[in-house]
Amino acid sequence: MTARISRRTALAGSLALPFLARTGEAAASIPLGAINPLTGAGGAYGPSMAKVAKALVERINRTGGVIGRPIALDVEDDQTNPTVGVEAAHKLIDVEKVVAIVGTWASAVTTAVAPLCWDSHTMLFCVSGADSITRLPHHGYIIRTQPNTYLQSGRAAEFLLRHGCKRVFGLSAQTPFAVDSWNRLKAVLGQGGAEGVGDIIYDAKQTSFRSEIDRALAAKPDTLFLNSYAPDLEILLRESYQAGFAGKRFTFAYAATDAVLKALPAPVTNGLWSFAPSPDVASPAYKAVQAILGISDPDPYSCQIYDHVALVALAIGKAGVASGVAIHDNVRRISQGPGQHVSDPVEGLRLLAEGKKINYDGASGPCHFTPSGDILSCKFLFQVAENRHNKTLSIS
Amino acid sequence: MLDYLVSLSVFAGLYGLLALGLNLVWGLGGMVNLGLAGLFAIGAYASALAELRLHLALPAAAILATLLAAGAGALLAVVTARLKGDYLAIVTLGFAEVIQLLAANEIWLTNGTDGLSAIPAPGRGQLSPFHFDIASTSAVWLAVILVSLLLWRLSQAPYGRALRAIREDETVAAVAGKRVLAFKVSAFAAGSAVMGLAGSLYAAYTGYVAPDSFDVLVTLLVVLALTAGGLGSMAGAVLGAILVVVLTEGTRFLGGLLPDLSALQVASLRQGMIGVFLLLLLRFRPEGILPERMRRHHLED
Repeated sequence: MTARISRRTALAGSLALPFLARTGEAAASIPLGAINPLTGAGGAYGPSMAKVAKALVERINRTGGVIGRPIALDVEDDQTNPTVGVEAAHKLIDVEKVVAIVGTWASAVTTAVAPLCWDSHTMLFCVSGADSITRLPHHGYIIRTQPNTYLQSGRAAEFLLRHGCKRVFGLSAQTPFAVDSWNRLKAVLGQGGAEGVGDIIYDAKQTSFRSEIDRALAAKPDTLFLNSYAPDLEILLRESYQAGFAGKRFTFAYAATDAVLKALPAPVTNGLWSFAPSPDVASPAYKAVQAILGISDPDPYSCQIYDHVALVALAIGKAGVASGVAIHDNVRRISQGPGQHVSDPVEGLRLLAEGKKINYDGASGPCHFTPSGDILSCKFLFQVAENRHNKTLSIS
Repeated sequence: MLDYLVSLSVFAGLYGLLALGLNLVWGLGGMVNLGLAGLFAIGAYASALAELRLHLALPAAAILATLLAAGAGALLAVVTARLKGDYLAIVTLGFAEVIQLLAANEIWLTNGTDGLSAIPAPGRGQLSPFHFDIASTSAVWLAVILVSLLLWRLSQAPYGRALRAIREDETVAAVAGKRVLAFKVSAFAAGSAVMGLAGSLYAAYTGYVAPDSFDVLVTLLVVLALTAGGLGSMAGAVLGAILVVVLTEGTRFLGGLLPDLSALQVASLRQGMIGVFLLLLLRFRPEGILPERMRRHHLED
């Protein structure tokens, strides 16, 4: 049989050529999206997140890319607003055809963008804290590197148990996580033989908390768990001291700021424990983030987006295919389980190319995920106030 | 690309509805209502809650949302009846803030800052995302066309003339026997109803509402749309809304053209360009692109 090329087929073929060439060109790079709060309420974090993501993508591209292809990163601003975030996600998914979106920050933006991602099989990596996010019906398309309330409160309770606290009273500002937080703390205390002796949720805008403190002290606690922000923490510390409370006090690092410690006399704040989720400061990946930003203490979100990009690259390297589904199916196969521990994504890609198994440990922590997409553990920084300064107790 | 343009057209239509609602209150009635984010939020939350808690279908929820927003708008109009200009602007802006705070703090009703997710809409899940967007944009633009025809008719009717007379000089209108308060309250209620409808469609389309969705940004964009399009003109309001979306989204492609700038610089440049555009427009065409046309009646000699 002879192949005959009619004029019509030749014409059709030549017309189709530019499109074929275009698909070839598009297949050359792997499109990756980032939605960051470059402006708006999250504006303090977005720019450094974008910088870290870009730097890591450039480094991966310089060293040969992923499965022989460079990554094309498109960073979009969400103005810390869900509607703008949805518009940005439409652009990334519909126009750029990204395989994954990394670095959504505000919980509202992540929740708004998530359905677009799971409908289009695009992986979403976020740094948002609201517990509700991983409860969405996301079919495994959400990975969150920020510890949720459950993990944080559990670790806080373990710390209190280690330090011999027996009767803990909770005073919480009205926040979306106040109730979840206290319930988890109480449960872990109960398992360890201690007791949550009562709790009050208060309005953080009050100028005095005397009646709340009187009610708390009536329960005879040895420890106050202060789930506060800085302004209300200052009043609570002063008024509980004036009321004669001499027990232990525990709060979040974002509340126990230098300003609060400076505003009160040392005897009032001495011994105040505070804690915060911490990046893995000993990790080589953390040092890479330090080098990119040129600062000694990068914020947790910049560390997390470094891990997002690394996880995307490694999951594609493992699968040998660049798609949202491939990342979805392979992200846990390179982040947890058996395999050589790596903290450098470029080294990880090399090992994967050699057919070896790897376990990525990132700048934010070990990056082990539950089936619903939450991290299993991360490091926490515990500190204590001494003479109006916070002193690090441990990072564990 | 087509999918993206379709989804943008939904947002353009929603901004168009908000601009139409504002046009009735501000363009015709002369009342600067910067509380539109609050009325938009009332519509969105009312519709979402009616669907999620009362299990109403979207059309019923939309009607409920529209009526509730109209009621809230009427109440706001009665409370602010004596205020004008900057003072009215500040109080209505405060109203929007109050609504946002209520949405963030009344957790039993609104689920607080976590917001309400999985809001149902006809076809979501059954249609492909692209076809769902096509259906949404058809519904939203049908609403835009109906509302603009209705408002245009209203503006040509004696009601519209009386409203414009109140805008130009309240005292003269009162002396001519027009019941100023009744006109103001009814215009405010009707404009708010349109904003409530926009909120209901927004909630159904995005499937998610949270207090953050209703910050001052949406007010700014809609005021920009109306000023650019032409205050007082219904076609101008819709055109302005399209222009705002083209401007805010079109500038997203700047990043590709300017690869040497950092992401923050591109983001700042985008917002700067929008500001420059508004300044240029106000300098060279302060009445907007499609200004309000007054019918003049020539008297015979």
